[in-house]
Formats: sequence, structure tokens, C-alpha cells
Amino acid sequence: MSLPRKVDPISTTLLQKIKESLESLNEKMEVMIEIQKHEQRAVPDGIPDVLDVMTLLSLPDHLRKTAVTLCKLDHATADEVSDQTKRARAVESGYLNQLVLMGYVKKERRGRKAYFYVEREENPSEMKESWEK
Amino acid sequence: MGKIVAIHSYKGGTGKTLLSVNLSTLYANRGKNVALLDLDFRAPSLQAILKVQNSEYWINDYLNGVCDIKKALVDLSQTHSKRGRLLVGLANPSTEAIREMTAKDRKWEMKALGRLLSLKTSLLGEMGLDYVILDTSPGLQYSSINAIVSADVVLVVSGMDISDMKGTQRMIDELYELFEKKTGLVMNKVFAEVLQSKNQRADLANKLLNSSKLPMIEMIPCFCDILKAGGVSVFVNENPEHPFVKTLDRMATTIEKL
Repeated sequence: MSLPRKVDPISTTLLQKIKESLESLNEKMEVMIEIQKHEQRAVPDGIPDVLDVMTLLSLPDHLRKTAVTLCKLDHATADEVSDQTKRARAVESGYLNQLVLMGYVKKERRGRKAYFYVEREENPSEMKESWEK
Repeated sequence: MGKIVAIHSYKGGTGKTLLSVNLSTLYANRGKNVALLDLDFRAPSLQAILKVQNSEYWINDYLNGVCDIKKALVDLSQTHSKRGRLLVGLANPSTEAIREMTAKDRKWEMKALGRLLSLKTSLLGEMGLDYVILDTSPGLQYSSINAIVSADVVLVVSGMDISDMKGTQRMIDELYELFEKKTGLVMNKVFAEVLQSKNQRADLANKLLNSSKLPMIEMIPCFCDILKAGGVSVFVNENPEHPFVKTLDRMATTIEKL
């Protein structure tokens, strides 16, 4: 007769930590793969990549959805993007950071929040002034 | 909030501009407030069709960051609409402007996308318009894809030509679906003989739609009267009882519900 297996709480915590580390490793590897693909496509004369519609078309589906949503929102946190795409905040955060590493999106911190945006204007305030004249 | 509708096609000559002008006027005649923007920078045509004097600012200027969108709009409500506001943004038809627009780089196109996306706030939000209709260039060009990304609804116009239908099918798979746009198809200039029975219409729709699940918004017969008019007038105002206008009226109602 076999006794019911007792689950050691320490090993459960350890397994959970291993799982989280593997997930984190997987995410980092995905980013590296994307960067590698991006570098292979890079223009040799050093023209920076821009998030135009042709670039949007060339992105994988999951990143395109995030990028188009960010284009529409202008400046947004991962939370705000996730509200629109209906995907988890952590997932959007990962995708937005991939887009930052690929050079298409900028990231800035305001207090505890990280804002993502597509840099379009050299000086938006100057342009607004010229419109108002 | 209102809707931004982009009218696009794979090939030129499918009737995008004719549909854009008449659909915009029809909505204005229904009491809606509408802006019609010419984004066909390679072959601007709204100025000639609507007989507008030279505009102080063009849509080109708005996309170049020279002016606010309001300055690039001409109000045609008095002359062209029975009830609502009808505003028009013209593309500069001068050869120099066409040449300049075709030579824009990717960074400019990215900025242009940002400005087109901001129309939702300025035209639909601040100005409270009900419809913004974007008349685009045919095929896969920056200006037309920018318009598609900025629109809430895309109407794809195809003729009966086999190359047009195949190209439209490719765009459905490789463009509209990638951007997850609400898209509807319009077959224009269809021979009346193939629209006589329900089965014939279904066969023709299947031929264009292939395996796609997109809705067929309307099949518009080919009318000699429209060809005879030669684009010198706004057809819905000149011939309100014409069957083409009745078809367009039905189409406008379908788009409202999309």
C-alpha cells in the first residue's frame, strides 16, 4: 500500500522560482531573436528605423497590434495599451519593450510610470505655435 | 463619435472618387456633418469635380505640418449640401506638389501617419463631425496605407476585371486583415445582366470574396448616365431620383451600421 505523497513546501516554492526564471529567460530570448532579425534588415547607411506603415506591415502580428495601438494613443503606458488590445498588461509591457529595443518606440519614466511613444516631431511645441499663428 | 471611412481599391479607375464625392454629399444631404479629404496626391481630382477655387491651404500643407486641419478645409455647405455641413480638404494638383509628394521619405510618412491619426481627435472629437471620408490612391502606397490605418472603416472598391479582383483578394489577406480593420467590399460598374437573379449576384460575390468573410456592401450596376456626366457635377444633387443614387443611399445606410 502506497502512502499519499507529501508535497514539500520548499520544493514547491523552488519549482515556482524555476518556472518564473525559465519564463523570463524565454522572454529575453524572444527579444534577442527579434533584435537579430531586425539587425539583419538594418539599412547599411545608418538611416534610423522608423515606425512607418511599411514597417508596421513587416512586424509579426503580436507586435503590430501593440505598435498600431501605440500609434493611435500617441503616449501610453503598458496598462493603457492593454486596455485597448484586451491582452494582459505584462504581455503588452514585454511587446512594448521589444519595440523599444528594436528602435521603433521610445520609453520615458514619469515618477513610477513608464510611458511609451513614437517619436515623430523634432519639436512638437514649436509646431503647435506655428499652427496657432 | 463619428466615423472615418477610407475608400480604397487595388487598381485605379474603379470609381473611388465618384463614390467618395457622392457618398459625402449624400450624408450631408441627410443632415450629417461631413469632411471629404483628397489623399490621392498622385492624381488629385476633387478640386476639378467640385469646382473649388484655389485653396489657401491644401491637405499637403496639413501633412507637412504647415497648418492646422481647419485651415485646409473648404466649406461647400452652401453650394453642395441641402442640410448638413460639407467640408472638403483638397490635394494640391500642381505638378510640383505631386512631384514633391512622391519624393517623401519614410520619416515624413511616419509623421503623416501621426497627423492622419490625430484627425479622429480634431475632426470627429473637437469639430464634432459625423463622417470623414478619405479618398485614397489605388494600390499599396504610403498615403493609402496611412489612410487605411487611420480609418475606422475601409470600403474596398473593385471592378469586374479579373486582375482587379485578384489584387483585391490579395489586399484583403495581406493588408486589411493584418490591420484588423472593419472592411466592406463594393463592386462597381457591374454589368446589369449579371445582377438579375439572386444566384447570379451570389456567384459574383463569391468570385470576389473567395474564402474571405468580409461583407459585400453593395454591387453597383454600370450606368451610362454617369459616364455621360463625365464627372462635371455631383450626381446625387443633379439626379436625386436616379437608380445609382438609390443604390448609394442603401450603401450609406449599410455603412452607418458597420
